[in-house]
Amino acid sequence: MIRAFFSGIRIHVLQFTKNPFDVSGVLLWPILYASIAYYLLDAKNDPSLLLSASLGAAVMLMWSLVVIGSSGALEHQRWQGTLELLVAAPVPFAAVIAPITIASGVVGAYALLATLAWGTLFFEVPLAIEQPLAFVVAIPACVLAIGMLGLIMAATFVFYRAAFALGIAMQYPVWIAAGLLVPLSVLPDWVGPVSWFLAPTWGFRAIQEAALGRTPWPDIAMCLLLSAIYLVAATACLRGFERLARRNGTLQLT
Amino acid sequence: MNALRVLFVGGVTSYRALFNWISPWVFFPHMIGYPVFEILFFAYLGRFAGVESDEFFLIGNAFLAIAVTGMFGMGHAVAGERRSQTLTALLASPASRLALFLGRALPSILTGIVVAAMSFAICSLILGVRLPATTLAALVVVALISSFGATALGLCLGSLGLRGRNVSLFADVIAGSMLLVSGANVPLDRLPGWIRAISSGIPLTHGIQAARGIADGRTIGEVSDLLLTEAGIGAVYLIVGIGLLRLFEFEGRRSATLEAF
Repeated sequence: MIRAFFSGIRIHVLQFTKNPFDVSGVLLWPILYASIAYYLLDAKNDPSLLLSASLGAAVMLMWSLVVIGSSGALEHQRWQGTLELLVAAPVPFAAVIAPITIASGVVGAYALLATLAWGTLFFEVPLAIEQPLAFVVAIPACVLAIGMLGLIMAATFVFYRAAFALGIAMQYPVWIAAGLLVPLSVLPDWVGPVSWFLAPTWGFRAIQEAALGRTPWPDIAMCLLLSAIYLVAATACLRGFERLARRNGTLQLT
Repeated sequence: MNALRVLFVGGVTSYRALFNWISPWVFFPHMIGYPVFEILFFAYLGRFAGVESDEFFLIGNAFLAIAVTGMFGMGHAVAGERRSQTLTALLASPASRLALFLGRALPSILTGIVVAAMSFAICSLILGVRLPATTLAALVVVALISSFGATALGLCLGSLGLRGRNVSLFADVIAGSMLLVSGANVPLDRLPGWIRAISSGIPLTHGIQAARGIADGRTIGEVSDLLLTEAGIGAVYLIVGIGLLRLFEFEGRRSATLEAF
């Protein structure tokens, strides 16, 4: 199972980097959102605001790749007629799906480089990471937590014919609720408690706090805790939905 | 007359096919969810940045929703036929190409307008933006003209489907760039000169400006120069799109690449 898991991550990272659609997304979208934020914020007197915007745009792309990647991957398996084979394989289905979502997050981590480089080169965003060690730890913690949240989403996608459309539609709500580019203080009060349950909130905070030299370790711990909770929940959901789909004969949905 | 029949029957058939695949009760919430949250995202970003009003982002993104569906609908019309392996059969028919592919795109264009109108209404309520009822008819006219321009741009993209493998890539990149370049989310005077130069040559920029003018109390006559520019840009893209469609069909037949994946 461990071999299947790591082979899956390697294969899906390779697939992502070979697909021009995904590559263009990784290159374009974080730069685009970061640019919109730079032009709107115009915060020459507060460079940390622009650095936060860069990091927020990067985590936005991580989530997008995870949620679109997991929904698209299942839909592709369904089109290719390989979904039943994967479900029937002796390896737990979660060990097949999790690499897809984590690989999406790994590729999304490239967005960090893209937005930081873009901001530094064209918008004079200071590239000063105050706590490099915490920053380096925060990135994989963020990738893992977002990937695990994607695994829960993937569990529901097994059951759903319009998985890809749902994946696309899930981007903005999480971007807003996690406070990635727009601080939670600007949003209605009830959004705050919702954000506590979302991995991108803690992943972004961990990276941001490390970059700005504050207290990233509690946020990193929250990422790890949420990852464990998501894994348990996603495995249970996957088993339940898989059993239902088998019983009703609806796995292929054709 | 025959071209009109092809356009209408093709459109109705593709709409029926769409709802054979997915229930309208599932389809519309999906379609509405994306623009609603997009509008809210940028409106709150604007509030945080202290730039422009909620109305600015509401109009910009609602119009973007219309444009994107027109552009994607037209852009994917050719690619969809290729994927379902019906492209060569279609191109062997004597039917007008424009009618064929526009027919397939019309459902998504109409859906886009309905979805944008519903998103606009929902977000107006959430954000507390009130527009006089008298402006609505003028906004519909502006929306139709903007949709025409975006669909014409989509025709250019769709024609690439006769030559290229991945039209989604172009459509996605252009749709994404429009978030910034069209002035939907950033006031044009905040953008550098080279981006403003691009803005002035693409569909939607002038349509959005006209819509904002109407929302601010100007009449349709007072924004007619913007509307004429928007329609003119759409006409140019339409002519280029038809030309590219013919050129790439000819080249595809000559080099036998119509079904190359």
